[in-house]
Amino acid sequence: MKKLYSNKFHILIFLLPALILFCGVLIAPIGASAYFSLFDWKGIGPKTFIGLSNYKELFTSNSIGFLKALRNSLLLAALSVGLQLPLALALALALGKKIKGERAFLSVYFMPVLISTVVIGQLWLKIYNPDYGILNVFLRAVGLENWTRIWLGTKKTALGAVLVPTLWQYVGYHMLLLYAGVKSVPIELREAAMLDGATDGQVNRYIVLPYIKPIVRISVIFAVTGSLKSFDLIYVLTNGGPLHSTEVPSTLMISMLFLRNRYGMGSTIAVLLILLCFGFALLINVMFKESEE
Amino acid sequence: MRNNSKGERIAIYIGLIFWMLVNLFPVYWMFTFSLKDNPEIFGKNVIGLPQHWLWSNYTRAMHTGNMGRYFLNSAIVATATIIITLIVALMATFALTRLIWKRRKTLNKFFMLGLTIPIHASIVPVYVTLSRLHLLNTYWALIIPYSAFSLAMAILVCTGFMNEIPRELDESACIDGCSTWGIFLRVIVPLMKPAVATVGIYTFLQCWNELMFANIFISKSALRTLPVGVQALSGQYTTDWGPIGAALVLATFPTLFLYIFLSKKIQDSFVAGAVKG
Amino acid sequence: MKKILALALALCMIFALAACGQQAAPAPAEKPAEKPAEAAPAEAAPAEAAPEQTVLKLWCIATESDANRPGYEKAIAEFEAAHPDIKIEWEAFENNSYKTKIKAAMMGGDTEDLPDIFFTWAGAFLGDFAEVGSAYCLDEAYKPFAGDLPEVMLQNSTYGGKHFGVPLTYNIVTLFANMDLLAEVGYTEIPQTYEDLTACCDALVAKGIIPFGCAGSETWCVTEYLEPIIEKTIGYEALGSIFAGQGSWNDPAIATAVDNFQGMVKKGYFDPNGMAIGNDQVKANFIDGQYAFYQNGSWNCGEIDAKETADGVNFEAALFPVMDSAKATYGQVIGGPSDTLAVCAYSKNADLAASVAFELGRSICHYCYLAGSGLPAWTPDYDTSEVKQLVSDVAAIVAKADGMVLFGDTAMSADPANTYLDYVAQVYGCELDGAGFVEGLTKDLG
Repeated sequence: MKKLYSNKFHILIFLLPALILFCGVLIAPIGASAYFSLFDWKGIGPKTFIGLSNYKELFTSNSIGFLKALRNSLLLAALSVGLQLPLALALALALGKKIKGERAFLSVYFMPVLISTVVIGQLWLKIYNPDYGILNVFLRAVGLENWTRIWLGTKKTALGAVLVPTLWQYVGYHMLLLYAGVKSVPIELREAAMLDGATDGQVNRYIVLPYIKPIVRISVIFAVTGSLKSFDLIYVLTNGGPLHSTEVPSTLMISMLFLRNRYGMGSTIAVLLILLCFGFALLINVMFKESEE
Repeated sequence: MRNNSKGERIAIYIGLIFWMLVNLFPVYWMFTFSLKDNPEIFGKNVIGLPQHWLWSNYTRAMHTGNMGRYFLNSAIVATATIIITLIVALMATFALTRLIWKRRKTLNKFFMLGLTIPIHASIVPVYVTLSRLHLLNTYWALIIPYSAFSLAMAILVCTGFMNEIPRELDESACIDGCSTWGIFLRVIVPLMKPAVATVGIYTFLQCWNELMFANIFISKSALRTLPVGVQALSGQYTTDWGPIGAALVLATFPTLFLYIFLSKKIQDSFVAGAVKG
Repeated sequence: MKKILALALALCMIFALAACGQQAAPAPAEKPAEKPAEAAPAEAAPAEAAPEQTVLKLWCIATESDANRPGYEKAIAEFEAAHPDIKIEWEAFENNSYKTKIKAAMMGGDTEDLPDIFFTWAGAFLGDFAEVGSAYCLDEAYKPFAGDLPEVMLQNSTYGGKHFGVPLTYNIVTLFANMDLLAEVGYTEIPQTYEDLTACCDALVAKGIIPFGCAGSETWCVTEYLEPIIEKTIGYEALGSIFAGQGSWNDPAIATAVDNFQGMVKKGYFDPNGMAIGNDQVKANFIDGQYAFYQNGSWNCGEIDAKETADGVNFEAALFPVMDSAKATYGQVIGGPSDTLAVCAYSKNADLAASVAFELGRSICHYCYLAGSGLPAWTPDYDTSEVKQLVSDVAAIVAKADGMVLFGDTAMSADPANTYLDYVAQVYGCELDGAGFVEGLTKDLG
């Protein structure tokens, strides 16, 4: 058995497809991006080596606005952890109480996850339409004329208007993950606590939450890296506008690559985005480990 | 629980039902406006059921919008991606959990990096590579990158499931004279059936939505996927909401129907991934 | 069992959908030879065509809803009928995604993934491709067509003395007016002076009519307003040299012009909802009678004219009035030949593609001119009596033009053009005044 399983050739064969796919599509492009980030290059034609100038420009130039884009995506990440996850957790805890129609609720909550992001984006574009969108129509109907806004067209409201559907779509995703955790809490643990006179809140606080911590950790990682990666919905809704108020690093990267023909700068943003995602994933892991100790 | 007060229960129900409506309403609205004409959508009848059910919106979305074709393309790409991801992930997971070699923990961590890499960051290098391999404008141009980006999650899920298969099974198969391949194909793979559904769902979620790769890597209109098709159609009918609504519904409802029928299975598999992962 | 049934049902639905889609497949965009591809990855396009046929790929932005679509359809059908040995395989993309696509394709630089002939904008967009050798030089192919296509029309696609583009139509920024709405405030013609225009707008606002529609979310639409105002303040030579990168933005007169424009925005002359809706919807609103004026490219003539014919609404075309008569005249316009076909340098049949591009270009120009989606870059050799009224009006304006400057974002190359657009957007959003605009652009672009 041991001999059979230690055959180097077999190990290689089993790993090869994954390694080729993974390195070819994920790792090599990162390398390429890191290399190109050191050049001033239009993507076609000759390129000039400029060292780390792209990185420097990215952090110092006001007109690129990378820091603002970064701030927006960090805000999204913060809201995702601070708003989306608690809501998902509350729903999961409520559904974990043997509620009537549990399945129906569960199914409906998960539904937005299955709808294509582009569809959601187009739908919300219609919801926010200043003339005919359901939101303004509703506000007018109930006499809140003053509350109507050009939701996606003014700097003040655009970011909020983009964040709402982004957060809304994935509540169901996290809810289902956490629900799985809540359901896996052994019933004896709960009952023992109840017998000791613990209230519902206390059971959740002292029994359920510590038990589902690994799942919460995964949820947090997905929520944070997902926020940093977010692109499609923002691309459809505002593509970073108006006046860059909803710009995130990915939309900035695409506009550098294809709108401004600054391939080197686009690659620089790509590299930073990857580092950021790695960094946060690591950080979250460390934080959860520390709190366990 | 039993000691919940009645008021508390009602509050919980109200909360749950409220959130349910928040989720259902956009879909309901989308469905109704897909069957209306502009005057109805824009004022006469904003949220009610359509006065005249305007099915011609659907004909327009199908014909000029070509939604059926795009749906089929998306389905082909998603299916192939799921199959490839599964095969590759099962093989890799077998090597990572069963086979004996030194650096397997490190390699596992290496694969897990894939969970956090944003797909858009690699767009141009991947484009150039696919172009060199003459794969652009084929389904492969999407299937290969989607598989690669789904791989990390698939390995994570498969590892959870595979670790639960008792090692004694391998031992006895080995004693029966099975080769490594024999054990993998006859013992491990059949027992990994639950993982198939789970990996399928996570992979589906990853590749069903993707817009940017699909937009850039495919230029033949016959091969476009749903997100690109929906986006293009919305660009063309900016002022005519009915056909857009119809396209959105066509892009959504087949998946939703499938989901309604299989929701328990889908949820269980999704959940299994979370617990195992 | 129930599950299997459900699954089968769902699958049936998917295939039914797909079948419907296939029925619709022989739309003009997909030529018959391009049979719905199977999952097979390697379906080389040339193999499908008859052996002696040369297949030329053409990419353009004439999507189903585009005003130029019928022009392309007719031109290509006619060309294929006249040349049975050449097959044009064409794809149309939505404007924004097309810019991304063609650039990515050029980065890849692989013949198979690139079109032989592609639509492009003259000026810097094509210039970038020409500079690095991705566009094919058309000097040779141009010779036989020189009689029908005046060389002056090639000026925006000529780099280093070499021609790289086949112009289709040319367009100028036009001030369209809904005369019925103007009549409501007592105007029977479009105001010819700035003071008069302002008075007219004030009267419109007082009557609850929005004077202008402009899609703020698409900044090029804002430049359609701002550029004529700057031109009519500093003169076309000065603006032209700034766009060409020779002159400096540092001119207090530009700040004045920008402040004047912003003043119009602040006075509520523009539909505030324009910030969130696209140009298509703004245009539809104008045609629908929601705005008195709409200043945009002359390619809109056909669509606006159609409404005039159908519903009897009276539309007229003019230019923005002069702001500083010391430096500018009424006849100075923004525009020029921009819509262009170019040939990819990596094409295997580049020479053939080059002459095909000219032939197609002539024919597309012909049909688009008649359809009212632009003025002809090629000298018409056909009956022009059916040209739309608005188009003739614009042609008459052009005939009397004193000077012409190409659209700023077309003239400048991608990076500075987008920096410029950023500043324009800030002006429209009232984030930046004229002084700030001039200062910022001077700092970033010189």
